[in-house]
Amino acid sequence: MRRTIALLVAVLTLATGGAAHAKSMTLCRAKPEVLALGTTLPISRKAIAERKLLRIIALGSSTTAGYGVSNPAFAYPTQLRIGLEKALPGIDIEVINRGIGGQDVEEMAARMRTEMEDNPASLVIWQTGTNAAIRHMPLEKFDKTLRDGLKLGTSLGADFILMNLQYVPAVVAVADKEAYEKVMAGAAKDYSAGLFRRYDIMRGWYDDGMPYAQFVQLDGLHLNDFGQKCIGRLLTRSIVDALKAP
Amino acid sequence: MAAAPVRDIRLDLFRGLALWFIFLDHIPTNIVSWLTVRNYGFSDATEIFVFISGYTAVIAYSRMLDQEGWPRTAARIYRRVWQLYVAHILLFVAFSAQIAWVSIARDTPALIEEMQLLGLGDNPYRAILEAALLKFRPVNLDVLPLYIVLLAAFPFVLPAVVRWPWAVIGVSLALYAATSRLNWNLPAYPDEKVWYFNPLAWQVVFHVGAACAVFGTGLSWLDRFRGTLTALAIAFLLFAAFIALSWHYNPLERLVPVWVARVIYPIDKTNIDILRFLHFLAIAWLVRLAVPIDAPALKWRIWEPLRRCGEASLLIFCIGTFLALSGQVVVSHYEDSILSQIVVSILGIAIMCVAAYIAAWFKRGNARAASRLPVTTGVPR
Repeated sequence: MRRTIALLVAVLTLATGGAAHAKSMTLCRAKPEVLALGTTLPISRKAIAERKLLRIIALGSSTTAGYGVSNPAFAYPTQLRIGLEKALPGIDIEVINRGIGGQDVEEMAARMRTEMEDNPASLVIWQTGTNAAIRHMPLEKFDKTLRDGLKLGTSLGADFILMNLQYVPAVVAVADKEAYEKVMAGAAKDYSAGLFRRYDIMRGWYDDGMPYAQFVQLDGLHLNDFGQKCIGRLLTRSIVDALKAP
Repeated sequence: MAAAPVRDIRLDLFRGLALWFIFLDHIPTNIVSWLTVRNYGFSDATEIFVFISGYTAVIAYSRMLDQEGWPRTAARIYRRVWQLYVAHILLFVAFSAQIAWVSIARDTPALIEEMQLLGLGDNPYRAILEAALLKFRPVNLDVLPLYIVLLAAFPFVLPAVVRWPWAVIGVSLALYAATSRLNWNLPAYPDEKVWYFNPLAWQVVFHVGAACAVFGTGLSWLDRFRGTLTALAIAFLLFAAFIALSWHYNPLERLVPVWVARVIYPIDKTNIDILRFLHFLAIAWLVRLAVPIDAPALKWRIWEPLRRCGEASLLIFCIGTFLALSGQVVVSHYEDSILSQIVVSILGIAIMCVAAYIAAWFKRGNARAASRLPVTTGVPR
């Protein structure tokens, strides 16, 4: 009996010795060039300089709502707030989570005005595209709806960042996912919005040999704890870089 | 009138196993959860738990329906629903208190916010109301509300399923299909959230389980197709295992043809994707063949802890959920070290077993006390 226990302890010690634990945030990486938003966030800068306040609306679908994560605070909007509070001491940071699972670009564009009037914000992060791609929304319709939304949103006086599709099995299987990505890049450019290239960032993880199980839930669609936290952290870095750029 | 059926030990045993799996899977990043079914295919312990719940509901109430009539049976079922509801509310309070306690004890007020009970902080009064209405459920507290809804509908399902099990399966499948097609769900809190386990979809597992209990040995006509069904089940399980392992190994993942990926993803959990359900049915079929009701191995002492946990399933489920949260806190305190995961897993299951044995001991005591009472009525039960 005693020998069994000794053996067990030895095995456990060995196992923990090599404990480079699987979900370590050290794996959360991205090349600097894919993190560039392509905007200087002028309205947010002004709010920070004049009012010491940065209010952000996270508008989106299930990723934003934090579907299926083991702790709601792991969803990227809360991670973004925590990250920005650390990076911008003395500035009041507010992130309003307006993610509704399953919604598509149309439904989000439709509630754009109320969301922004309910919570006047300097920055809107609009996470979209995935549901359109996996439901095969016609590209022209996607393009038009997205642009209508951006036009309305920017006219209401906020900076915009579009967060594009996630690189997950359900999206990778879609034949023309890159076309949706291109539409988003084009729309962002035309409305001087930032583009957070989630698709390229996550493809980088995969290409570096990170398995899907590391960052995707078992449904093959939603980001898991690690995926959400890492996206939150990288988005924080992108935004801070954009705010600090000359 | 049918003789009292022998207790099907398999139900307790596999329900106990499902409860262990649920506990292990609820600790994020837990290396021990590699032992659970979800890593080797599409379905997980939830399907096992819900199916067995449907099965045992028929076993528990159909004889009563026969002997004492519908009103008493319905009343008995609602008493059970009430017990589930009380257990859920108690679990909700204990769960929230645990978070508050940890953050006070460790002097980290941030923890309350980090473990934000999704809205409890923003508007506590409203959140408590919504919790009482089962619309507000912190993470991991989704299974009991599903069970409550399913059992609350059961008095109306029971008389139908004992007479026309096939019709009930048909209606259940139709509701399931309509739900996934039309995106029906019940409302939740905060607004626009939906039930993580959609009762309108998950009812299919419960009701197929209930119908199987009605069929009982009547399912033996399936044995005529035993060879074919077994081959199909094994093929499907191998396919599912390949896909599940491909999530962990990119070289395997690259072998999955694009058209296959296009067909199978996303494998929805909220509306229980058909792949999950088929995967569970394949497992159930093979278990039925491999472990017949009178298998001698079922009586082995080594399974007793599982059986005890399965017998006291409500208690053990609540304890497991509560402990999974403690486990999450401990494991994250030790920065996800593998040792902490193993220790927490073993300790948690040990506590669940001790609780189950105490519950069994208590029950035996009650039964003995009851048998000592003088018999006042002449009607034997």
